[in-house]
Amino acid sequence: MAKLLRVKTLSLRLRLYVAGNGPNSVLARANIAVICHREFPDAFELEIVDLLEFPLRALADGVVVTPTLLKLEPSPMQRIVGNLSDGPQVVLALHSA
Amino acid sequence: MIDSAPADVLVLERRLTEAEATVKALLSGEIDAVVDPRNNSPVLLAIAQQALRESELALRKSEAEYRQIVESTTDGIIKIDRVGVITFANARLAEMLGYTPLELVGTSLLEIVAPSERPAVHRSLDEREHGSTIALDTLYRHKSGAEISVSVAGSTLRDDQGRFEGLLGVVRDVTERKKLQAQLIVSDRMASVGTLAAGVAHEINNPLAAVMANLEFIEEGVIRLQSSEPIDRKTEWLQEQIADPLRDAREAADRVRFIVRDLMIFSRSSSEEPKQAVLVNDVLESSLRMGWNEIRHRADLVKKLGDVSYVTVNQARLGQVFLNLIVNAAQSLPVGRSSEHTIHVSTYQSGGMAVIEVRDNGCGIAPETIGRIFDAFYTTKEVGVGTGLGLAICQRIVTDMGGTLTVTSTLGAGSTFRVCIPTGPDSCIEPCIAAAAQVSSQTGRILVVDDEEIIARVVRRSLGAAYDIMAASSARAALDLIEAGESFDVILCDLMMPMMTGMELHKVLLQSAPDQASRMIFMTGGAFTDEAHQFVADSSVGHIEKPFSLDVLRSRVHDFVLTRQQVT
Repeated sequence: MAKLLRVKTLSLRLRLYVAGNGPNSVLARANIAVICHREFPDAFELEIVDLLEFPLRALADGVVVTPTLLKLEPSPMQRIVGNLSDGPQVVLALHSA
Repeated sequence: MIDSAPADVLVLERRLTEAEATVKALLSGEIDAVVDPRNNSPVLLAIAQQALRESELALRKSEAEYRQIVESTTDGIIKIDRVGVITFANARLAEMLGYTPLELVGTSLLEIVAPSERPAVHRSLDEREHGSTIALDTLYRHKSGAEISVSVAGSTLRDDQGRFEGLLGVVRDVTERKKLQAQLIVSDRMASVGTLAAGVAHEINNPLAAVMANLEFIEEGVIRLQSSEPIDRKTEWLQEQIADPLRDAREAADRVRFIVRDLMIFSRSSSEEPKQAVLVNDVLESSLRMGWNEIRHRADLVKKLGDVSYVTVNQARLGQVFLNLIVNAAQSLPVGRSSEHTIHVSTYQSGGMAVIEVRDNGCGIAPETIGRIFDAFYTTKEVGVGTGLGLAICQRIVTDMGGTLTVTSTLGAGSTFRVCIPTGPDSCIEPCIAAAAQVSSQTGRILVVDDEEIIARVVRRSLGAAYDIMAASSARAALDLIEAGESFDVILCDLMMPMMTGMELHKVLLQSAPDQASRMIFMTGGAFTDEAHQFVADSSVGHIEKPFSLDVLRSRVHDFVLTRQQVT
């Protein structure tokens, strides 16, 4: 049962767009790391994309501001804008379908 | 279409929510960068914010630098708003006033201003609205209540529209400087008093010498009249009516003589402060006479003067110490009810030390202040009564003499000040005991050289019976007489004269007529120059102090003539 759940939750795939070491970007990176390790231990995949290095990827993903967190899987895709300081709200958004 | 419609709506709703969230994040400052989709490059709000942070850091750094300057300066810095409330105080100002900076901020400026200065400060605050700079000396009040002299310099603060916003001031503690200034003023004043006293003493001594000698001459005449026979009515009248007033006049003149002599003791302050062997008891008596006015309305004086050896000190300074202790003792007692209070003055020899004690049974000194009484400017007396210098100077003087000045006191029972001074080897000075007047049949020629003719007349009157007296009103005139071949057994010569002094005459005579030079007796009336002082002290020449009593004058002249005749 637990194994099944794990397989199921393993599908949490996140992409965080940041802008270098901007203060909100640093904050967002730290916040999402804490949330993932606490809420989805070993069941997530987090990619961090620096807007300054890969602006075109941001455009492709329709990201216009950073930091922006994309929940790619499970679908539907969600985007959360901001430095992710409001932990409970972020967790709620990530759990929602 | 039917299926897709809700999906589209959902997507739209989601995009709208996302847009709202984005705007919200933008507004709350959670965004680092915004991508401009038109030219495929992100517009970096992040950079702007980074720059903002950097400039903020730079600002903080420079603020820290300013703060360091403000806090490490040795002057106090104060900022007040337009109604006089302190809005900033640096650590130095707080330390100066005994508060912490936090305690000062929010209180009124008037709180830290001495009460006596508040109206003035209040007034100047009102006027400040129109001025631009401040420079004033005022008094602040320490938390402990002590007053601090401060010098304030600063400027008015105005907003963009030029409206008065308050004051920024730099506050310097000038208490020490003020004290030094006061000390200078006092010592300056003392110096002028000394010079003045010396001058006055000299001016008084010449006429006083004439008054005293003439009074004595008259008295002698009256006595002679009394002893002559027969006693007629005129003689009786003289005895009854003249003798008493004459004695009173002589006593009064004696008092003037003592006052002048005491003044001179205090004013003799040459740069070298010459030392001499002095009798402690004599100096003490002189100081007691000077302080008598302070004592007599407050206490009975009990003197117990023992056998004390000579001390080699500056007489004026020793007199100053004694007078100070005596006046202090007197001032510790209330005026009136003098029979209830006593001032004991005693001297005794203890080992190699002369000990002088001045004891009063006055209010005593509180234990908490006794440690400070020898501090300069410490005084418990009212303003104008004491400078707070007296005991400090006394202690310095006594210490310079190699002695000690100590105090013991019981609150409510009185104080004892004890001066101990090492006694020197009994030396040079022999007390001048006036030999009994010997109006003998001895004859001789006397020349009186004095610019005060009154002196010559007195000498003629009192010695004219026994001697042949000539007078010269200047050293020049005396020199002319001697150069013309006149010769004298005694030359009574004033020391200080205009044009040519007695010393200069002596010098000339040493060359031209050494015998006449050796016959000079100098009459001194005070106001010594250093040179004159040396002359009288070092030289083997005789001298006699004005005012002189006739007995002393006669015996000196007699002895002089006698020795000269033996020599020749």
